[in-house]
Amino acid sequence: MLKKINLWHVLLIMLVLGAVVPILFMISNSFKTLRDSYTTMLNLIPIHPTVNNYLLLNKQINLLGLTWNTFFMATIVTIGKLLTGLLTAYAFRSYQFKGKIIIYLLFVATIFVPFTIVMIPNYLVISKLGLLNNILGVALPQLCDATGIMIFLKTMEKIPNTLIDAAKIDDIPNRKIFFNIVIPILKPSIVSVGAIFFINSWNEYVWPTLILKDKASFTLPLALQNYISSEGGTNFPLAMALSTIMVILPLIIYLIFQKYILNSISNSGLK
Amino acid sequence: MLNKNKKILPFLYLLPTAILLLVFMIVPILYTFYLSFFDWNLIAPTKEFVGLKNYVEVFTDPINQKVILNTLIYILFLIVLNFVIPYFISLIVKFFIKKMQGAYKVLFFIPSLFSLVVGAMLFTWILNPVSGPIAYLMKSLGMTMPNWSNSGILAITVICFITNWKVFGYNFILLLTGLGSIPANIIDAAKIDGIPKWKLIWNVILPMNRGIAIYVLILTIVQGLQYVFTPINVITTGGPYYGSSNIIYQTYLNAFVLYKTGTSSALAIVTFIVFLVLLFIEIRFVEGKAKNYA
Repeated sequence: MLKKINLWHVLLIMLVLGAVVPILFMISNSFKTLRDSYTTMLNLIPIHPTVNNYLLLNKQINLLGLTWNTFFMATIVTIGKLLTGLLTAYAFRSYQFKGKIIIYLLFVATIFVPFTIVMIPNYLVISKLGLLNNILGVALPQLCDATGIMIFLKTMEKIPNTLIDAAKIDDIPNRKIFFNIVIPILKPSIVSVGAIFFINSWNEYVWPTLILKDKASFTLPLALQNYISSEGGTNFPLAMALSTIMVILPLIIYLIFQKYILNSISNSGLK
Repeated sequence: MLNKNKKILPFLYLLPTAILLLVFMIVPILYTFYLSFFDWNLIAPTKEFVGLKNYVEVFTDPINQKVILNTLIYILFLIVLNFVIPYFISLIVKFFIKKMQGAYKVLFFIPSLFSLVVGAMLFTWILNPVSGPIAYLMKSLGMTMPNWSNSGILAITVICFITNWKVFGYNFILLLTGLGSIPANIIDAAKIDGIPKWKLIWNVILPMNRGIAIYVLILTIVQGLQYVFTPINVITTGGPYYGSSNIIYQTYLNAFVLYKTGTSSALAIVTFIVFLVLLFIEIRFVEGKAKNYA
């Protein structure tokens, strides 16, 4: 029996290694010379460690500008989605109104809308607004997402009715109930949902591909794409240096909020 | 005045979301539906009405037929890689090991944090047929690595593995949570009765966990087909000769590379109809909660 249990751990650890080892090699190769990346491919520790890839990268592209674009976009999307999501979930939690179930199902339905069906009209609208090659233009379509509403709604349902009713009887204005009662209770899920929103938008690829054509307006994933070629001409140490830069922020956020993030994802699936 | 205020207030809270949904989702869906009956190129001042021609083309054009077949292959691969395997692993973590469950959750989730472009880069490196580590290992064993990007089916396989790398941990956690919400006394009772574990899983656990399993399965199809857009665009751009394209990617190609908005819109509408069928299944089996708001 004991032996059997160990075997399952062997399988699981192999899967974990399969998931994580490529990332370790990515970081390691980003500190190798191009030559070493071929000759000592399977060395996890570089023999001649160098930061030249990062310096070269910084010469070829505007690293700081690209990082700022990505950060700015992800921040706008995160704040926008948190605000709209909290307001909407609060309206659902505290009021009875006509068409509630229809609106709720509409939110569920948004998950099933493929981006292909909105991409031409949204491209035309963004272009009419003069927001092509603009971070705002690439943030706006990303705001249209109901997953935050669903997660907040689930958390708000755990707030006892008596608490909100008591506040209403005392004629405390809604604004105060929202900011002084609901928001503090929701703090953990706001943090975790915010972290998930930020990471997702930081990695967003589809809308930037459609909206950003001017290299100065690029986000990091678009810049990385230019360093990858299927024909084998890729300078991998350089591509891996850029990738390493891209993964640092999501990793830090995960290290700090890991427990909250995993809880939120668990909750999002509970029906 | 106060009463009126109370009636308007909830709609005021809903307003920002409503405007966003209207401008960036509902009106666009209707407009795409409208465009699907016209020939247009995104720029020309006039659109030519062509009736159902674009829809007929979706099913009769040989390239589109190839793409629809590819889409079915993608769905099959995605279900196996991103649903069946994570489900199997979540059952093992829940019922066959006692320690380190938390650690596996934390570790499996890590790739979900990263961009699919990073995933595409990593896999083109690992699987580079000339200079990648796998090719290197195969060479030392006297084998040669096939040039997978020249074969549609191999490219599809690699692309599905890239999304698997990203999605596995996420789906694993959802399914594990579902298993965790099954009452412990049911599992204990089976243990006392000496029912074998796999029998218990097959006859009791899987049916009880059906709701979340269907949710993840549908998510795997709906999101998976959209997730593969990124590695397709980064690695193969749909090639060789549409061999790794799917209905989502073909919709993009028609709109922004071939400038055929009519064909693109018809493909998008067909995709949406398929997704809506999946949505109804989801509501039927999973979204029991909607009743609370009736």
